[in-house]
Amino acid sequence: MPETDLRNWLHTQLFERVPANIAIIDRDYRIVEANQNFAETFGEWKGKHCYEVYKGRSEHCETCPADQSFNDGKPRINDERGVDRFGKESYYVVHVEPIVRDNGDVPFVIEMSHDVTETHRLQREYGFFFDRVPCLVSVIDRDFRIVRNNELFQRTFGDAIGKQCHQVYAHAGSPCPDCPARETFADGEIHASPLAGADQQGKVLHYIVTSAPISRGEKRPSHVIAMALDVSRAHGLEDQLKQALAFQEKMIENAIDGIIAADAEGRVIIFNPFAEQLFKRSAEEVAGSPIADFFPPEFADELSRGGTSIVLMETKVRDREGTLIPVRFHGVALMSDGKRLGTACFFRDLRDRKKLEQERLDAEHLAAVVQTVAGMAHGVKNVLMGLEGGMYVVSSGLKKDDKVLVEKGWVMLEKNIKRISGFARDFLNFTKVRQLAAKRVDPNQVARDVVELYQDAAHHAGIELRASLPQGIAEASLDPDGIHACLSNLVSNAIDACAAADQKEGLVEVRTRERGNVLVYEVADNGCGLDDEARQKVFATVFSTKGSQKGTGLGLLVTRKIVHDHGGTVTFESSYGEGSLFRMEFPRERLPAPANSDAR
Amino acid sequence: MTRPEDKTILIVDDEDDVRLYLETVLTNAGFKVETAADGLEALEKVKASPPDCISLDLVMPRKSGARFLGELHKRPEWKKIPVIIVTAHARDDLGSRDLKEILENSTILGPETYLEKPVTALAYVNSVKRALAMPITPGPETGQGADLKKEVGSLLETAGPDTLNKVLEVLRKK
Repeated sequence: MPETDLRNWLHTQLFERVPANIAIIDRDYRIVEANQNFAETFGEWKGKHCYEVYKGRSEHCETCPADQSFNDGKPRINDERGVDRFGKESYYVVHVEPIVRDNGDVPFVIEMSHDVTETHRLQREYGFFFDRVPCLVSVIDRDFRIVRNNELFQRTFGDAIGKQCHQVYAHAGSPCPDCPARETFADGEIHASPLAGADQQGKVLHYIVTSAPISRGEKRPSHVIAMALDVSRAHGLEDQLKQALAFQEKMIENAIDGIIAADAEGRVIIFNPFAEQLFKRSAEEVAGSPIADFFPPEFADELSRGGTSIVLMETKVRDREGTLIPVRFHGVALMSDGKRLGTACFFRDLRDRKKLEQERLDAEHLAAVVQTVAGMAHGVKNVLMGLEGGMYVVSSGLKKDDKVLVEKGWVMLEKNIKRISGFARDFLNFTKVRQLAAKRVDPNQVARDVVELYQDAAHHAGIELRASLPQGIAEASLDPDGIHACLSNLVSNAIDACAAADQKEGLVEVRTRERGNVLVYEVADNGCGLDDEARQKVFATVFSTKGSQKGTGLGLLVTRKIVHDHGGTVTFESSYGEGSLFRMEFPRERLPAPANSDAR
Repeated sequence: MTRPEDKTILIVDDEDDVRLYLETVLTNAGFKVETAADGLEALEKVKASPPDCISLDLVMPRKSGARFLGELHKRPEWKKIPVIIVTAHARDDLGSRDLKEILENSTILGPETYLEKPVTALAYVNSVKRALAMPITPGPETGQGADLKKEVGSLLETAGPDTLNKVLEVLRKK
């Protein structure tokens, strides 16, 4: 083929095959030439105006890019939105290229467009993604400057384009120590780190920042896309959880009760300082050991029966040295939604309380002693008067040679001397610090002994003294001498009361009883009883009204002390003119341990 | 002149020892004596035959001394009987309240005097005599009287003219 023909043919081929839609329009906007691609895209074009074909319009577009090129002969590129032959909305990039004659005229303009609808769509989608994704997205360059960011970023940090990312996120002048972007810039791999920052208001925020290279084929990327996921809330929750745990730990540490807890398998996981003190063990050494080692058998029984909790007001546990310690115990199986979480035990050391109780009893006792001693002064005064009076009467009698008077005076002397002896003896008894020598005894036997001892005295005073001692009163750990002294005191008082009342059918009864887990002794009489005043002072002073309650207050005081030492109480009921009842009650669990043995 | 034989003294005390002693003392001094063991018995004796003077214990069962006095003062003829209180309880809980009441309550014509047990025979007799406006028996002052006089005497040694004047006033009033 000749050369010009070849060139013409090649040009035509080029015109048709170039992957763009080409149309040439004249100054009337009529399409004078177009390629095959154009026809396929836009359909029939012969004789049509460009605006008809591109846009489906019947009029010239106001912002026609071709106009400007017709005027100034300069090429342009535009993004255009149009409609293809199927009526579908499409996007184009249009190159407008004027054909300029030598004389400057522009008779024609070439419009080359290619369809960027797909690209446009992808771009839109990515843009959508970029803005809507629920994390802060920014694109940064090797200087850590932000070149692009998404909506959320904008809302959180304000205008940030051009600023360095560490400045914006963390208000720091240099990159953060764990900056993942730095590592991505170095090796081109994806990296992630937790970072802290602050928003425009200064509120602290926590993020997981992931950085990925925006690679255009180079090994060291020029840009990095940084995606920050806000984990402030989770972080906040983590903090709250840590605090709550720390709070509870502190509470357990500082409790004044011993607290031991085990996991669902029964292995010790909590052993607080108080428990360490109580059991004389360290938390380290007991960790993981079975909690059952520490609780009283009653709790183990309760658990095996399917129970979940038990309270023992007073029980004993052993420490490492084998010492028995009185404690109040609460054991509970910890459940949640029907599942067993673990076990907890609470121990309150009762030794202090017992000491306090003892101190209180001692203080009460001391107060009673003081009151008694004051009352004794009265008694002693009377005795002195009696002695002086006696001497006076005797000497008057001798002077007047009045034998009767002498005898009367002598009786006075005798009586008062006896009373002084009585005081002395009672007081000596009282001040002797008696140690309890407790043994296992039959309570009824002690009562029988006392009744036998006083039979003669009672008979002599015309009073019936009897015992009512039921079978089946169990042995108790008592100091037999002490209880004997108490009963003697009460019986002797009762006899005196009957004698004082000139009771014709005087009756004194000694009884024993078992009530619940309490051993009870009672001494009842139908003697003169106690009036209000005497009732108030019965344990405290030496109150001597004529005849009634000949027993000195000291005797009752000793009785009370002995009863208290046994962990019991002494009470009375009395009706003036009708009689009295004195009762000693000994709760069995408070009785002292028998001497020479460790445990009950 | 009043003679002891003409006077009857009622001794009220719950303790027989005390009654015996005081009775012996007064009998030795020549007085006639009645006794009562408590307030009720005392009232009965007063009703039967009003005595010339009453020696009264405060703390007794069945009408304490103060209550007895109260009853006594209800009748005009009994009000006039001089009363001497003899008690062991003047300074303790049991008696001081009553005593204070009696001493302070001037609407009841109070007793002339009160004595704290133990009393000496002489002091007792003299109290009775004073109450009956009879001349007292001087004698070796023992116990309270002697001590007081000693104390006053030693204080007088160092007292100034103002104090002395005041003391004179008090003594002359008696």
